[in-house]
Amino acid sequence: MPVADATRSPVGAGGRAAARSDPALLLLLLPPLLFLLAFLVVPMAGLLRASFSEGSRPYDVAGFSLQHYARLLLDGYYLGVIGETLLLGLASAIISLVVGFPVGYSLARLAPAKRRLRLVIVILPLTLSLVVVVFGWLVVLGRNGMLNSIMMSFNLVERPQRLLFNRAAVLVVLIQQFLPFMILSVMSVVTQIDPALEQASANLRANRFTTFRRVIIPLAMPGILAGLTLVFILSASAFITPRMVGGARVQMLGSLIYEQVTSLLNWPLGSAMSFILLVLTLLLTMGVNMALAVRLTSTRAEQHAR
Amino acid sequence: MRDDAVDVALKIAGSIVRPLVYTTLSLPAVIVVASSFTAGDDLRFPPEGFSPRWYMAAFKSDMFMGSLWTSTKLAFVTMVLSLTLGMAAAFAIDRRSFPGKHAFRTLTLSPLIVPMVVLGLGLLQFLAWMRLNQSFLGLLIGHVLITLPYVVRTLNAGMVLFDRTLEQAAMNLRAPPSKVFRRITLPLLAPAFVSAGVFAFVTSFGNITLSIFLGFARATTLPVQIFAYVEHNYDPVLAAVSTLVIVVTLGMIAIVEKLVGMEKVA
Repeated sequence: MPVADATRSPVGAGGRAAARSDPALLLLLLPPLLFLLAFLVVPMAGLLRASFSEGSRPYDVAGFSLQHYARLLLDGYYLGVIGETLLLGLASAIISLVVGFPVGYSLARLAPAKRRLRLVIVILPLTLSLVVVVFGWLVVLGRNGMLNSIMMSFNLVERPQRLLFNRAAVLVVLIQQFLPFMILSVMSVVTQIDPALEQASANLRANRFTTFRRVIIPLAMPGILAGLTLVFILSASAFITPRMVGGARVQMLGSLIYEQVTSLLNWPLGSAMSFILLVLTLLLTMGVNMALAVRLTSTRAEQHAR
Repeated sequence: MRDDAVDVALKIAGSIVRPLVYTTLSLPAVIVVASSFTAGDDLRFPPEGFSPRWYMAAFKSDMFMGSLWTSTKLAFVTMVLSLTLGMAAAFAIDRRSFPGKHAFRTLTLSPLIVPMVVLGLGLLQFLAWMRLNQSFLGLLIGHVLITLPYVVRTLNAGMVLFDRTLEQAAMNLRAPPSKVFRRITLPLLAPAFVSAGVFAFVTSFGNITLSIFLGFARATTLPVQIFAYVEHNYDPVLAAVSTLVIVVTLGMIAIVEKLVGMEKVA
């Protein structure tokens, strides 16, 4: 009943009719759509299915059981790992904000010519292979590394210290890797803030700190939240860094998944861990987006009230 | 502007934090390059002497050169496929209206927010079911999947700035659609294409998190090779190989910087 449809919802039916009569659109739409359905949606559905399976070997997908989730959510060890993952993710996100904000802000206010080299420095860790970055840190923090030789030459320590294989080292390396995302997202929102607003605030005798708190931070909030989410997701799902820098002492969900898949070959348990990680990160993303939506609508409501 | 204690503290804090951040961000790469030229037998800092001997060792190693070739080949094919699929998706999003457009856009960007370790396991399992695991094709599919969001986002950002009246003018002058596309649309979108392509190449070239799940003995990418090597050995040849990766990455960034400008990428 295309005619009846058209009278009821002209927009939707119009769109559908357009899709049907537009072979070019199908040609554009189908290849990426099929690719994503086949290699993103279907594998994720398969992963969900495997996480509820009864077996505990690769390809072993049969029956239905909650045993893997029960094991992960009732066992103190796994709960500890989940807690550590969340904690490291949050710490990395918050520290990134504190040190990344001033950098992003100053980049946004710099003249383009001065910005160039600094932007290359910021973008390099994002584009450079993770394994090279982590290897660089091994050379910096290793027993014969740069930090130890600096500390020894200043007689701060007598013999090389073990700086690797602890939580602090993992945190430093995670922050170094993902800080650029924070810097770039702060930079991109601050670029949109008209400097005249800051001058106006200064003319009204607000000091820099007040201007910062009352003008810059509220306007930069979308960028801050986007940066926080991104750094949290990336840090919480890290596994190369905890493995190479943290060793056996720092366990994160990502490294456990990798271990389950490659050496213990318990794919269903690995799938269940993956889903827990996915749900935790998605919940946070959704929470942040909702908070942002509420904030934006409420400020608009306030403006109307005035 | 009034200057009081808080302001001074803020200023000082800022002038300490900023240099510290830039130093920390560049530190690993700088140290790797510096220690790759050591004449000594082990990795230490400061390096002992200066010699290119570890580069000779790296160039002679079939293991590292083979995986460098694999990575380059993979990154190139990934770039081409990702640009093709991404261009189709970006055009559909920018130029057409169709039901479910918002959902389609979210779908194309979603490989960004799914943790890569989760994507890796999901794909590995799926490819195993399709009997495609341990194949170059499987690795390629994974890399196209993770580069696609960057390509779509960069191309869409470029299309927003695109002045479509230029195309209409060309069509008014009776240019056939294929010619309009070739002579007007493509050149105008060239900067977006370059940055999207370079970003896809570099992302694929350096990726370890997905390759480690999908790679296999006959298609070990360079990052996976470095990772496997560092688990058992720790010598300056790694620094030399890593420096090669840094040079390729910086070279690609320089291309974008030269042709498009860093501002557009960030």
